[in-house]
Amino acid sequence: MDFSKAMRVSSSGLAAQRMRMNSISSNIANINTTRSPEGGPYRRKDVVFEAIPDSKNFGDVLTTVPDQSIQRVQVTDVEVDRGAPLLKYEPDHPDANADGYVAYPNINLMEEMANMIQATRAYEANISSMQATKDMALSALELGQ
Amino acid sequence: MSSKMFDKTVDALGSSIDFRLLRNNVISGNVANAETPGYKAKKIDFEEALSRAIDISGLNRLSTDHGDHFPVGPGAISRVRADVYDNPDVNVSNDGNTVDLEREMANLAENTILYKAAIQLINKKMAALKYVAAEGGR
Repeated sequence: MDFSKAMRVSSSGLAAQRMRMNSISSNIANINTTRSPEGGPYRRKDVVFEAIPDSKNFGDVLTTVPDQSIQRVQVTDVEVDRGAPLLKYEPDHPDANADGYVAYPNINLMEEMANMIQATRAYEANISSMQATKDMALSALELGQ
Repeated sequence: MSSKMFDKTVDALGSSIDFRLLRNNVISGNVANAETPGYKAKKIDFEEALSRAIDISGLNRLSTDHGDHFPVGPGAISRVRADVYDNPDVNVSNDGNTVDLEREMANLAENTILYKAAIQLINKKMAALKYVAAEGGR
């Protein structure tokens, strides 16, 4: 039970939301990309969050129960959308298939923007909780003055 | 008047500070996991146990008449334990997450203020002792 624990947990939240922001940026930037290293159009990326107990060493496992229930968050996986691409009829496009259709990534811009706002707010919430922890730690320094 | 220089108040405020730090950690964990699928929001209770241990009204006083008897009653303030559990009073979202970010942020602000208040109260208590020590003999 210490201040650094809350700081570690909050910073894990910041890192996770930043990673999510990166994947959203990548999705928006590549909304019209028809070529990718894996072949075919760009595929939408989505991060997967997982809550894990915040224990740094073996001793932490033996500490009290309340402390163990505090979990930080981590990005365990980046999921790649395997859905069918959007087909648009553009016979003059260099990536058009034999029928004249071009495969575009199946990315909904509105959806990405909504996710972006959500990630921003979650990031700010983590900053606020970090700020609150810092306020408490600073006021603890005034104890006995 | 109590003959002890540090009475129950300082003990209680000390425990309260400890528990508020723990609550801060619990809320930070909830905020960090606000978007984690399947995460269950945690809640921590200590107010009731602490107020029972402080026992201002004196209603919980229960004593033994022999020193070898098992201790009864609310017990010492230092032995109060906080209770951390999955908050049952929540809305479950589609991905199974139960964190209510607005509520967590409100609790966080309240907790920080009460933490600072407890620290100020301890400081006031110390200031009174300091005053008596310095000026009492004059």
